[in-house]
Amino acid sequence: MENILLVKDLKTWFPIKSGIIQRIIGHVKAVDGVSFGVRRGETFGLVGESGSGKTTVARSILRLIEPTAGEVYFDGVNVTKASRRELLNLRRRMQIIFQDPYASLDPRQTVNSMLTEAMKIHGITSGKSEAYRKALELLVEVGMSEEHLYRFPHEFSGGQRQRIAVARALAVNPDFLILDEPTSFLDVSVQASVLNLLKELQKELSLTYVFISHNLAVVHHMSDRVGVMYLGKIVELAEKNALYYSPKHPYTFHLMAAIPVPDPEFRKEEVLLTGDVPSPVNVPPGCRFNPRCPYAAERCKVEEPFLIEQAGGHWVACHFEIDFKSGERIS
Amino acid sequence: MKNARKGEMAAKLADLKYTLYLLRRNPLIVAGSLMSIFFIVLALTAHRIVDPSLASTFDYSRNYKWNNPLINWGPRVAIHPGPESFPLGTDGYGRDLLKMIILAIPLDMYIAFVITAGASAIGVTIGALAGYVGGKVDEAILRITDIFFAFPGLVLALVFAAMFGRNITNLMIAVLLVWWPTYVRLMRGQILSEKEKAYVEALRALGAGHLRILFRHILPNSIYPVLVQMTLDYGGVILTFSALMFLGFSPSPALPELGNLASDGYFHIFEAPWLILFPGLTILIITLAFNLLGDGLRDVLDPRLRR
Amino acid sequence: MGKEEPILEIKVLKLNFHTYRGEVKALNGVDLELYKREVLSLVGESGCGKSVTALAVINLLPENAHILGGEILFKGEDLLKKSKDEMRALRAKEIASVFQDPMTFLNPVLKMGTQLEEVFMLDTNALKSAAITQKRQGKKISYADFLSGKMEYKNETNNMKVSKDDVKKTARALCLDVLQLVKLPDPERVLTQYPFELSGGMRQRCMIAMALARRPLILIADEITTALDVTIQAQVLHLLRELRDKVDASILMITHDLAVAAEIADRIAVMYGGNVVEVASTTEIFRRPLHPYTVMLMRAIPSVTKPVERLESIVGTVPDMIDPPSGCRFHPRCPYAMPECKTKTPELKEVAENHEVACYLNR
Repeated sequence: MENILLVKDLKTWFPIKSGIIQRIIGHVKAVDGVSFGVRRGETFGLVGESGSGKTTVARSILRLIEPTAGEVYFDGVNVTKASRRELLNLRRRMQIIFQDPYASLDPRQTVNSMLTEAMKIHGITSGKSEAYRKALELLVEVGMSEEHLYRFPHEFSGGQRQRIAVARALAVNPDFLILDEPTSFLDVSVQASVLNLLKELQKELSLTYVFISHNLAVVHHMSDRVGVMYLGKIVELAEKNALYYSPKHPYTFHLMAAIPVPDPEFRKEEVLLTGDVPSPVNVPPGCRFNPRCPYAAERCKVEEPFLIEQAGGHWVACHFEIDFKSGERIS
Repeated sequence: MKNARKGEMAAKLADLKYTLYLLRRNPLIVAGSLMSIFFIVLALTAHRIVDPSLASTFDYSRNYKWNNPLINWGPRVAIHPGPESFPLGTDGYGRDLLKMIILAIPLDMYIAFVITAGASAIGVTIGALAGYVGGKVDEAILRITDIFFAFPGLVLALVFAAMFGRNITNLMIAVLLVWWPTYVRLMRGQILSEKEKAYVEALRALGAGHLRILFRHILPNSIYPVLVQMTLDYGGVILTFSALMFLGFSPSPALPELGNLASDGYFHIFEAPWLILFPGLTILIITLAFNLLGDGLRDVLDPRLRR
Repeated sequence: MGKEEPILEIKVLKLNFHTYRGEVKALNGVDLELYKREVLSLVGESGCGKSVTALAVINLLPENAHILGGEILFKGEDLLKKSKDEMRALRAKEIASVFQDPMTFLNPVLKMGTQLEEVFMLDTNALKSAAITQKRQGKKISYADFLSGKMEYKNETNNMKVSKDDVKKTARALCLDVLQLVKLPDPERVLTQYPFELSGGMRQRCMIAMALARRPLILIADEITTALDVTIQAQVLHLLRELRDKVDASILMITHDLAVAAEIADRIAVMYGGNVVEVASTTEIFRRPLHPYTVMLMRAIPSVTKPVERLESIVGTVPDMIDPPSGCRFHPRCPYAMPECKTKTPELKEVAENHEVACYLNR
């Protein structure tokens, strides 16, 4: 399986400055050593709660935020060390859809202008009539029509705006798309249609997706493999059903148990985590999850576990193997 | 391809129509714009209504005389018996005050226009630079702006007049220098907030370069408050400039300029009260017109009210 | 539940918003009943009117809202006919509400302890009797006791004298108890903190604590878990479930998330375009959804326990409330639309045991 995207020990730290001379007194370690690969044509899901760093990972991969350390390879090209020209070319092949459809479109641009501008930046089309034709094609591809070409963003609903954002991303013929919470601001019924569209486009255009969301059910629906992030690190990575139905990391287990199920007859055990989602400013020593982990041992407070492949393709960062039914720790 | 152009134009036209619709519904802005249009038209046609050479026609036999039966100023006022009528009286040079005011309007409007346009052009450019580039450039620009903010307009005008001579151009430069910092701050603030918006990040992800983002996206989205400020400032500049004239910075005492006309009236306030009253009133009305226009524009262009 | 009298009854409530673009016909004859000690979840997508309904109950509507008709009966009295002062008294004591963003509803310059105490101080009689009981019996009065009103000297408060200090101490103790009840770590510390120092989940739990401190009859929770992380949401829902057993209040839970409703509600009411289109018990509505909108909504939600290849989306968009469709507002998007659906809005009728639907299909 060839990896179209390879992330190696990616770190993105934000300095905290204080005082009159703005001394650096610490760092927000938003992404603190993340490694994973995405296979061509798959959808890789990335889940985590606030402070997990998943959004920062997305932006660091595209260098919208400059990473502090580590490397990102796209189709063999080193993204982190790319020159401006190389980066422009990479930006054509790697696109992103943002979370807020109300803010990610310039309110003073018509749809047509947005689409043709995307093409212009990368020198894709020649001449106004060809650009117009292509723009129309793109709109139809995302399920909209010609009359929408000359309207402004505020005339559209949230779902339509996301479609326009998708059209704009597709205008440059990308291979790879990062979807950063694309449906979080949308109603349930609209979300369904946008997700369906994304799935269709993936098949049609052989796209590779990284799908980021805090909505675990949506990620399960869309992804092939899923990675769970906690405080800047990946704690578990596996094929989706293995992750959701047989999680190995205590955090993943609690996360899955917390998902509200739209089925009142589904009896599930109530497993609750204590405490709050932590902030990446004060990272606990040892395993980051240890303050909230019901299975924490002395070792967990001192030594940070590595992400190790336990079963085929199932990676876990934990010192122990835990039988969640009985609650016993097996080393 | 024609379709494309037509469509784009139609969209922009529809947007403009919506703006005009909002403008019409606001009585403030209707009043303000009508008055402003009136003054602009007057400024443009003044030289055809009144013969400009009248400004240099002095007739001391007719100075400080009142002629209009509608207002009785009291016993100390001299009434001109003659056949000509002076609806607003005469000034110290025997000129018809009404005609002088009409001649003064284009001068003041032109001066205010140059100062406002100049100050905003300079301020917007520097402010955009500061806001977008940030860092040390931003700091440097801010400090320079702070220095200029501290200048009292009058003192600066004095210095200029003393150093470079008392002419209109120098005074305009003096006022402009005091006026542009406001635009720097305004533009910088707008740019700073627009810069953080999601669509800017989306454009960067698309591969758009800094110039494209700044000029094609951020600037057009930030310009509305500047337009409002310019309209409001227009009246303010007229006020400031005529105040300077009033205080004696005028290059020539007979210059038909609103503040200048009023300045002469100050010394003759009992014999010829109209001399200070009517030019002053004119200044007030012009300022009011543009203030109303600016306020109305601000209400209409507020992005929260549109859409 | 059953055929007893509902504690809150909304009858044919019609409400418009006056905007410069036109009249937004937000509520089109809402019928809703809330019974004692039940959790009723009001579910719908954006624009359906669920939050507006809640605001109408407690009279916190914006200025441009006009009520065109209908009644809101609380304990038999029409709330719409009450004065502003009467409504304020009601909000202080009997109908409590918690909203989505606790940051905007908490005073940022007052410590949490002060704000929480303030709520207890609203009902001085109860506090006094609690203080007296404490003094006389020598033991601390727990919040649970306070809630259920198990205090000895209730009726003699007017004759008893209790120092202000004692009352304050009692209030403080109750605050601590409440915070412990909502499972806040280190309650002592929380009392001394300002709202911005707490996390979203903690603030939300404080809000719930403050709401319950008044021992209300109804607790309105408007999208309280929407902004929270999944694990925190689970904690808050668990809390509500626990409290529901201890407190005598009915909870009106407003959410757009059917899964959350499934987790916590006894009954679910689905709203669309300003109407309640279906009401039934949670198990019943999932087992046998009758309204086409409910059916399609359920099929649009991804579920981890029942994964599908393709989610079903609903054709069309949410109706334009300024110019809504005639008759049943769902008819343009409904695959089963009949001619009568376009003429008159169907009424909410009971078609099975405790199952009401507003649809001509089910006549």
